[in-house]
Amino acid sequence: MSIIEADGLTKTYRVAQKKEGVLGALRGLYRREYREVRAVERIHFRIEPGEMVAFLGPNGAGKTTTLKMLSGLIYPTAGQARVLGYVPWERADAFRRQFALVMGQKNQLWWDLPAADSFQLLREIYAIPPTEFKSTLDELTGLLGVEKLTRQAVRELSLGERMKMELIAALLHRPRLLLLDEPTIGLDVVAQGMIQKCLRDYHVRRGVTTLLTSHYMRDVEALCDRVIVINHGHMVYDGPLSRIVERFSETKLIRLQFEADAPEDLNRFGEVVRLDGPFADVKVGRSQVAAVLAAVLDRHAVADVSVEEPPLEEVIARVFEEAHAGHDAA
Amino acid sequence: MGILSGFTRYLRLLGGLAVYTLNRELAFRGNFLVKVSVEVIWLGILIAFYRVVFARTSTVAGWNEPQYLFFVGCYFALNGLIEMLFLENCNEFAELVRTGDLDGLLLKPIDEQFLITCRRIDWGTAPNVLMGSIVMVVALVNAGWHPDPLRIATFLVTFACGTAIAYGFMLMLTSISVWMVRNQSLMEMWWLFSSLARYPKEIFSGPWGEPLGVFFTYCVPILVVVNVPANAMVRVLDGPMVALTITATVLLLWASRRFFQHALRSYRSASS
Repeated sequence: MSIIEADGLTKTYRVAQKKEGVLGALRGLYRREYREVRAVERIHFRIEPGEMVAFLGPNGAGKTTTLKMLSGLIYPTAGQARVLGYVPWERADAFRRQFALVMGQKNQLWWDLPAADSFQLLREIYAIPPTEFKSTLDELTGLLGVEKLTRQAVRELSLGERMKMELIAALLHRPRLLLLDEPTIGLDVVAQGMIQKCLRDYHVRRGVTTLLTSHYMRDVEALCDRVIVINHGHMVYDGPLSRIVERFSETKLIRLQFEADAPEDLNRFGEVVRLDGPFADVKVGRSQVAAVLAAVLDRHAVADVSVEEPPLEEVIARVFEEAHAGHDAA
Repeated sequence: MGILSGFTRYLRLLGGLAVYTLNRELAFRGNFLVKVSVEVIWLGILIAFYRVVFARTSTVAGWNEPQYLFFVGCYFALNGLIEMLFLENCNEFAELVRTGDLDGLLLKPIDEQFLITCRRIDWGTAPNVLMGSIVMVVALVNAGWHPDPLRIATFLVTFACGTAIAYGFMLMLTSISVWMVRNQSLMEMWWLFSSLARYPKEIFSGPWGEPLGVFFTYCVPILVVVNVPANAMVRVLDGPMVALTITATVLLLWASRRFFQHALRSYRSASS
């Protein structure tokens, strides 16, 4: 049985339009105008147990709205969903016991108290047996290296430390499904790496199914094999991470290091993106890689060569642009 | 889960929440002490005012001094209980809706109404319950009251009903925040509510007062909240009024819960 089944999930908001100035505000008192915003439109997907899936899209694409529908926070306008076998917006206690939603921009810990106090309260709320609570807490604080910080008031922790505590709070009840909404937003590279490592290790140990939204492609590359992309509420891609690069990027990057200075005529093979002494990077069509390599190696003395996919950020940006152009045309 | 184990679990949770909020209050003990002092002064002023009134007259609207003192103590304890358990939580609800912080509470596997309206105990108003109780005991001693199990039982039931009625009204006012988003009128409405509950219903007399008294007893039963338990203890044990109070409690608790759940269906969750 799938962990998440979304069928035609749709969410439309009616948003009040406020007119400028005092007169506009007064007019709004008796006649208010509304605009319909289609945040999510008929999306379908399935997520199987143990998968780690990235849910990507530009700002306003409908990612967070989808996560909120899947976690039962808001009701959909149309469509069906089953999460862990439950209709999420019925908010059954048994359902809420089995998943966690972590939002990078919100906190669930008590601001003025040490995180340990919040953890104890969560133990009561989720009715976690004391021995299981202790072993999970030890495991998670160890994974994140925060054993000595749990007795410090949350407001006195750094952003990275707070996020780690949030993650611990979300995992204490050993959820089967983890919904992560930009968990590394605002964190430095080291803290990001720590969170990624913890999530990866935890996934290996517990096999928790994870749906992640993030604007940091490093999170996606480090954690997910499958990617779902939505834009303007529509799903535009659902498949393996490796295939998204093949499908949306027509080029590869050949990185060359010559014995002497790089030749000036490399632009006849493709787009030269870097030319610096003996180093040169050339973007060429995917089908031409072998031919270009053969020609360069035949004509020049090459000390080192590598062929790389373009950065994921670039590919995803292209996916968003194409989807945006398609939406505008429609 | 059985009813008993469910009840025990929620009681334990309430205890846990009480301990954590006490820790939080004590982290800012200056603020805590000021809050307690203000409440003590407020009760002192209230009692001094009634002493002045009763220095000039022997009854007010048919209530003699010890009876009225009991009424004041009952009001103070009941109001303190409501403020301690629910007022701050309900008052914060609009802000939770506006900021989207309500999300975190809705995700927890316990009753939303319980978590939203009981998650914080306002310990600064807890002494009011104690002070109100002391005033009631002093009033009973002054009145030369003899213990009567039936009156005590009726008082306890109707006092609980009064608290529940006040909670029901507050929950309904709170629920409106889901649509209004900013609901600063809650405090004003609560002030109106507690102002009406503060006086014996006999003061609503005359061509204007009587219809108001009837309206706030039978249509919007605010006047029964303190009047019925205080009456049951120190004046008349009025069976029909007790029955009305119990019926109003059941209806209001049911209606306010339905209204609250209906409101949550309209929750939009602020954008992240």
